Amino acid sequence: MKGERRLGVFVHSIIGMARQTRVPGRIAGAAVGLRASRIDDPVQRLRFLRRTVGDRCPWSPAVIRESGWWRGNRGKIAVAAAALLAWPVLEVSQGVSGFLSAVPVVSAKTGSIESYPNVWLLEAGAGSEVWSNGLRIERRFEVANQPSAFQAYPHRQDRPPVKMTAPVGIVYHTTESHLAPLEERQNKRLKIIGETLLGFIRENKAYHYVIDRFGRVWRVVRDTDEANHAGNSVWADGEYSYLNLNRGFLGVSVETQTAASGEETPATPAQIHSLKVLTEMLRSKYRIVAGNCITHAQVSVNPSNNQVGYHYDWAAKFPYIEAGLPDNYEKAPPAIWMYGFTYDPSLVTVTGARYWRGLLKAEVRLREDATAHGVGPEAYRKSLSQRYRALFGRMKSRAEASAEAKQKAMKESAE
Amino acid sequence: MSEQISQHVGLDIGTSRVVAARKNEEAESIESQLNAFVRLPHSKMTEASLGRENVPFSISDGHILVYGNESAALADLLGQEVRRPMTQGFLNSAEPASLEQIEEILSSVLTPGEGEDLSKTRICFSVPAAPSGNQESLTYHEATVRQVLEKLGYSDIRSINEGVAAVYAELEETNYTGIGVSCGGGLCNVALAYMSVPVMTFSIAKGGDFIDTSAAAVTGEMANRIRLVKEETFHFNGHYSDKVQQALTVYYDDMIQSVVQGLNDALRGSRQVPKMSRRVPLVLSGGGAMPEGFKARFERALQAANLPVPVSEVRLAKEPLHTTARGALVAALSE
Repeated sequence: MKGERRLGVFVHSIIGMARQTRVPGRIAGAAVGLRASRIDDPVQRLRFLRRTVGDRCPWSPAVIRESGWWRGNRGKIAVAAAALLAWPVLEVSQGVSGFLSAVPVVSAKTGSIESYPNVWLLEAGAGSEVWSNGLRIERRFEVANQPSAFQAYPHRQDRPPVKMTAPVGIVYHTTESHLAPLEERQNKRLKIIGETLLGFIRENKAYHYVIDRFGRVWRVVRDTDEANHAGNSVWADGEYSYLNLNRGFLGVSVETQTAASGEETPATPAQIHSLKVLTEMLRSKYRIVAGNCITHAQVSVNPSNNQVGYHYDWAAKFPYIEAGLPDNYEKAPPAIWMYGFTYDPSLVTVTGARYWRGLLKAEVRLREDATAHGVGPEAYRKSLSQRYRALFGRMKSRAEASAEAKQKAMKESAE
Repeated sequence: MSEQISQHVGLDIGTSRVVAARKNEEAESIESQLNAFVRLPHSKMTEASLGRENVPFSISDGHILVYGNESAALADLLGQEVRRPMTQGFLNSAEPASLEQIEEILSSVLTPGEGEDLSKTRICFSVPAAPSGNQESLTYHEATVRQVLEKLGYSDIRSINEGVAAVYAELEETNYTGIGVSCGGGLCNVALAYMSVPVMTFSIAKGGDFIDTSAAAVTGEMANRIRLVKEETFHFNGHYSDKVQQALTVYYDDMIQSVVQGLNDALRGSRQVPKMSRRVPLVLSGGGAMPEGFKARFERALQAANLPVPVSEVRLAKEPLHTTARGALVAALSE
């Protein structure tokens, strides 16, 4: 059994490297393929492949190869591949599984009663799109990334996770980037800062959409692909919970800073209008329920200290009503009542009364659920936390860790 | 949970047939029923005759519903069309008895073995790829089949794409890399898998039913009769003994062209398709692939299409009618 686990870890390290660092896929592919060829039993062979290669293809030709990385690491890869091939043929155990086996692919709809805006594409060109509600999307910085595919976890724990590909939600961010005064004489600076920011976001594939200071909407990462915008994060709707929302949730970032001013919201009227029409379009196109349109602060978690609110984007003052949404600050963060996260009291100070209501509701709900299960709140919280860690441990791939690091680097650099 | 699983079942829920493959220890068995039924007026004598002949039936609203393999012959005898719980790969929303009949047909092929504990049986059933823009049909179909299987007592229920099942059943020597084509009654399902990973799947709404109804429309025959002729005597040989044979050839060709065109479009349009270092095999399965000469016809169409993924060989599955169920069984065993 120990040997089997070591084999599993080893194979995963090869695949992980291929996924995370975009190593040229033929080496890893050939290594796994040759390893599989040495397994005589067809069922065992299929089990090996499904558990090592997983439920999506890591060797997509859309992947941009990083020749510099390859040059620096090809020796390690060659050694790892050789060692893998030399490994004795072992039966693949259940414990090897790190990537989940194929699960059904279903529509992102929740099936709940919900009204959606009706917005359609009016015209599309190489550089822009115009939608029926007046939304214009600029595409000059548009870029592809890894196609988005993710697992949704049914609330009923006896049900298997469901594979989805279409977006099911929106996470709103602030760029927290440098801001020049919004004045006519600053036009040149404003343009340079905006273009530099968009270039940076494009390079890091940080968000799907950016709303600049003038309210222009830029698509950066395509809707169908993942973007590195949410890192460790948790949300849930009426049917499923979702972990690590880079996949499945579209990242919409407003070019602004949380502490930009003492105004009610740091967004300009033009940006608020764009938030509204962009949200309408995305909800219409993907049938996204209003409750799944939330801010980064509401979904962000820190697994290392088990607390919510790791990122503070729009922890308060997001113009929900003006953006055509219900006040989702009322929503109890699922990270607390579903997965046992706690929060730092300073979060309450930062967020003020609006987010506090949701935090309070989550605490109340957790206590009610604990009572229903006949255990104390802390024991119940501990069991929820264990569930999160089990799921998190399964899904956390090195690629996701890399994405998180990139996002963090981008934010720090922008700040 | 996996340690508790003692039985495995692969289930092909096709528009025209339902096939169950199961493996108990070393033995593999196949059960199959036509996914169709016919309604007869109720009489004690008919009921007794059917019971004597072990023909599966149920009684509803003063009628006898005969389902499964015998329904086609009875319908032909009575000059009726069979009724179908499914159409074009999915549960037939226009058929009021669809759910009851699919449950009856499933239970007839899923007879538990002696002492079998269904809660310890893992069952994997096939689902088609959703036709473009029709994802909701797949969601409803899959959820409903799960409900039916739960009602029958199964708790470990999985699903697999039909084209991928063909790859799992037939392409182990290429590490489950290749193209699986399943020509069924309602749809033709196609999947490209790379080292077991489904990279691209799609379906074309042209299958056996399309051929039957189209040929029936131009010849004036009943679709049920066309189906019997197609299954019993049809083959591609370039000589048409009658109008039915000629019509069948025309619509078979139409189906082949549509599948190859769809495959070409999907491979060229997908960003997921890996660059293959070797040619990949293509396996043909399903009842639609069985007529003599079908493989050669398909090869010719492929050569003309010049696919972006080079194909090493086209092969006919060992048992085309059982391929999907066997692939689903392999998937259940490999979970």
